Amino acid sequence: MSRRLLAAVALVLGLGAAATDVAPTAASARLAADIAAERDHITAEELAERIMNGRATRLIDLRSEREFAAFHIPTATHADIETLVAADLPRDTPIVLYSEGAPHAAQAWVLLELRGYDDVTFLREGVYEWIARIHEPQLAADATPAERADFGRRAVMTRWFGGQPHVGVPRAELAAGYWTAGEGPPEAREGASAGAAPRSAASLIAGIRRRGC
Amino acid sequence: MSPLVLALVLGLAFGALLEAAGLGRARKLVGQFYFTDLTVLKVLFSALVTAMIGAFWLDRLGVIDLRQVYIPETFVVPQALGGVLFGAGLVLAGLCPGTSCVAAATGRRDGLAVMAGLVLGIVVFNAAFVRIRGFHESTALGTVTLPEALHIGRGSAVALVTLMACGAFALAERLQTGSGQ
Amino acid sequence: MRRDADPYLAGAGIGLVLLAAYAFAGRGLGASGAFASAAATLTAAAIGTEQAAAMPAVADYLPSGLASPLSDWLVWEIVGVAVGAFVSAWRAGRLASVCERGPGIRPATRIGAALAGGAVMGVGAKLARGCTSGQGLSGGALLSVGSWIFIVAAFAAAYACAPLARRLWR
Repeated sequence: MSRRLLAAVALVLGLGAAATDVAPTAASARLAADIAAERDHITAEELAERIMNGRATRLIDLRSEREFAAFHIPTATHADIETLVAADLPRDTPIVLYSEGAPHAAQAWVLLELRGYDDVTFLREGVYEWIARIHEPQLAADATPAERADFGRRAVMTRWFGGQPHVGVPRAELAAGYWTAGEGPPEAREGASAGAAPRSAASLIAGIRRRGC
Repeated sequence: MSPLVLALVLGLAFGALLEAAGLGRARKLVGQFYFTDLTVLKVLFSALVTAMIGAFWLDRLGVIDLRQVYIPETFVVPQALGGVLFGAGLVLAGLCPGTSCVAAATGRRDGLAVMAGLVLGIVVFNAAFVRIRGFHESTALGTVTLPEALHIGRGSAVALVTLMACGAFALAERLQTGSGQ
Repeated sequence: MRRDADPYLAGAGIGLVLLAAYAFAGRGLGASGAFASAAATLTAAAIGTEQAAAMPAVADYLPSGLASPLSDWLVWEIVGVAVGAFVSAWRAGRLASVCERGPGIRPATRIGAALAGGAVMGVGAKLARGCTSGQGLSGGALLSVGSWIFIVAAFAAAYACAPLARRLWR
């Protein structure tokens, strides 16, 4: 009698285990496709244009409260990843996430997408990219005409946000990011490094705060 | 409880249950391989399935974290060859390392002999180790589990093993009633 | 003398002990490791701790020289196994000073086979990083691939060699 009971319990629990497996869902495949097609992130310029054009966007800063207070992208609100994932955000407003660089924002992107939010993007290189491209853009001393034109375009946005463009910066001191690949005159591109060593977002932000009124 | 005292307590229960099942007696143990007494299969697989299902569900329910439990690594060829040698030695000796202690502790002299043989075999292995080290560490796959290797979910692997074990038990019952205890 | 317990119930009980090991000790049960520890200590006693510790296969088992077994988890466990088995047999009247063997075999032959079989198992267990308790049971329940390779290989080899050893048992 107890043998049968044991067998029954074992079969129920043993076979029941299979029911708890989460099948690789269509969701994962969809997310993977979005990531591969680069639909998951936007650039700082795109974000700046959105804000300037007044498009409704829920911009969320995932760094610490202290970092948020020191500097944040205009119109952003702060959230930490755990409250964000549990929050009941409206699903009709596009959500843009950013953090210091990319990892936390990218992770939050996955978590929100899995919760069914389908208009979520993140800033490709976070607050670092925002400062380097929009808030404190830099023009190299030996800039090409194409670079000057691009800089000029972004400088308009810089002034709109109250930032500070910098010109005549030695190429080796430019803040580097995905945008520096392939930039600059041929001599600079053939160098050992693509021009500049990446600086941290914290040092960029410290540079902003050091400027008094 | 200190880890060593815990080991002792776990061993007490393990030894008592092995003895209660009669596995300290070599003739009963080898009966498995002559189809006359399938106790080894029944005890081994019931224990395996119980622990497997229990560990799975406790982990799923968050009571334990299986990632904190040591899972032995896989070395395909050494473990296959080791298994072959072990199985051959087992029918010769009639007892495995654990049951040899059960046998010795309950008065069986053959148990002591198996224990001595084990130590001897290991000493020989250690002496030859430098020469076979390359082989010993070959075909290492690291920590890999059946669900990962078969590309199925963990729960499905548990279900599969459960089914297989129950099938083995059903077969064992049929075989045993045929040849008698 | 009390009859042997139902194998399924005993097995389930062992499974629960194993589960307790996972939950409270973060590891499974084992046996051959304790013998490896004994072998290492004996080697150290025979040729000196320094020389023994210089052997790569032995070094891991001698963290504290000749006293190493006293701090080895498996050694304490196997001592428990022996004590638990003794108490269980004693309570059930199953203690017996005998040499278990097949009907037509002399004790000396049995002992010789036990020694030889034990030695072969010792080598096999070292190669496999465990035995029926460590790999078969504990590793098997955790679904480790190597453990299952071991289980299949051991059972297959045992069945294949059984006819050759028939005289020992039948």
